[in-house]
Amino acid sequence: MKFEHREIPDGINVTDVHPLKELVVLLSGATILIVALVYILGLSAGFMAPYIPFDTEKRLTASFPVEAPADTAVEHYLQQVTDRVVEVMDLPEEIEVTLHYSDGDTVNAFATLGGNVVVFRGLLQKLPNENALAMLLAHEIAHIKHRDPIVSLTRGVTISAALAVLLGFSDLDLMGEAGVYTMLHFSRTMEQQADSEALQAVYTLYGHTHGASDLFDTISAWHKASGNSEGVEFMQSHPLDQKRIKTLSAQATSKHWPQAGETTPLPQRFIDGLKGQ
Amino acid sequence: MTNLIIFLLLMTLGYLVGQVAEKKHYKSIIQREKRLSGLPTIASRFPPTDRLFDQSLVMGNTVISVDYFKRFIAALRNLLGGRVTSYESLLDRARRESLLRMKQQAEAMGAEYVFNVKYETASISKGRNNAIGSVEVLAYGTALIACGPSDEV
Repeated sequence: MKFEHREIPDGINVTDVHPLKELVVLLSGATILIVALVYILGLSAGFMAPYIPFDTEKRLTASFPVEAPADTAVEHYLQQVTDRVVEVMDLPEEIEVTLHYSDGDTVNAFATLGGNVVVFRGLLQKLPNENALAMLLAHEIAHIKHRDPIVSLTRGVTISAALAVLLGFSDLDLMGEAGVYTMLHFSRTMEQQADSEALQAVYTLYGHTHGASDLFDTISAWHKASGNSEGVEFMQSHPLDQKRIKTLSAQATSKHWPQAGETTPLPQRFIDGLKGQ
Repeated sequence: MTNLIIFLLLMTLGYLVGQVAEKKHYKSIIQREKRLSGLPTIASRFPPTDRLFDQSLVMGNTVISVDYFKRFIAALRNLLGGRVTSYESLLDRARRESLLRMKQQAEAMGAEYVFNVKYETASISKGRNNAIGSVEVLAYGTALIACGPSDEV
């Protein structure tokens, strides 16, 4: 018997595909998969979460300590405006709004679980008039009315769990970013709807929508002054300032709501109270 | 954002370095395969019986790791399914290199053939999940070294 070396044809054990092409195909496939998954989960969470009774939502927050409201001129006035806003906003019966004033420099306000709205001194000090304050409160109360906090919580928990199962045990945690950016889309929609609802409330209260532009001009000016460039919209939880102002102005125009009018000044004791006097 | 930059940096580095290393390795493999083509390696367990041979165990062992780029592609494959082409060249290189090392050892002994050639492949990332993407390939066989004419049998 004769034994000899036979050459093996080269490359039969390796598929000839360019690695970069493979990367593009796989990456776009995985991105589409994750975006679609997050979108579907996000939609279903948004559909189902509002069926959670408000009482249950309230019980979720019952265990968190909350500062007892002090009886100051500031809180008194805030409560007064809130009551007026709530009245025109047509909230479902079981929902109640609790306002909290926080003596912090943060330029922010937010609505959270259990109908709680928190406003910071930092933002209040920048507001030019009562109309802008009413717009701000109406925006946060609109979040409560739409059940946005519980929807966001449900959405966040569902989507993070799904992504953890899908990507948790691989080197692909980075692909989770595709999911995060998809989730922000829902957040921006919520903001837009809250803006629109708040504009309606401000119009009902004052007969014009001057407060809306005042509020967003204030926020936009602060963003610019603090050097926070807004960046790309798909990476933000809120729509860009200019876009919000434009959308609201378009809404007012289409409904023939006057966009200018006499503004109600903030009472002096409120302004003094914010300064800590 | 920082995450993304680090990721892109590792991907680019992995791709460039990995490609250069792989091309260089293949070039060396092909060259050495040509040089050692006079020494047949045979899977059969039955050596020729016409002559007398000394027998000796010869083996070659290789451990190779993939680059960051290929590991990422393989991880994406885990998600979508299909041929993990990025690992194919890793295993191909490891097997051929091991065989070459075995043949080099046999050549140094003055062997005429290597019979009963076998491969063992092991992943050395056991227990570390995806932290290491490396394989070990061991090739071994029986080197036959001529020691006398056939009429002595």
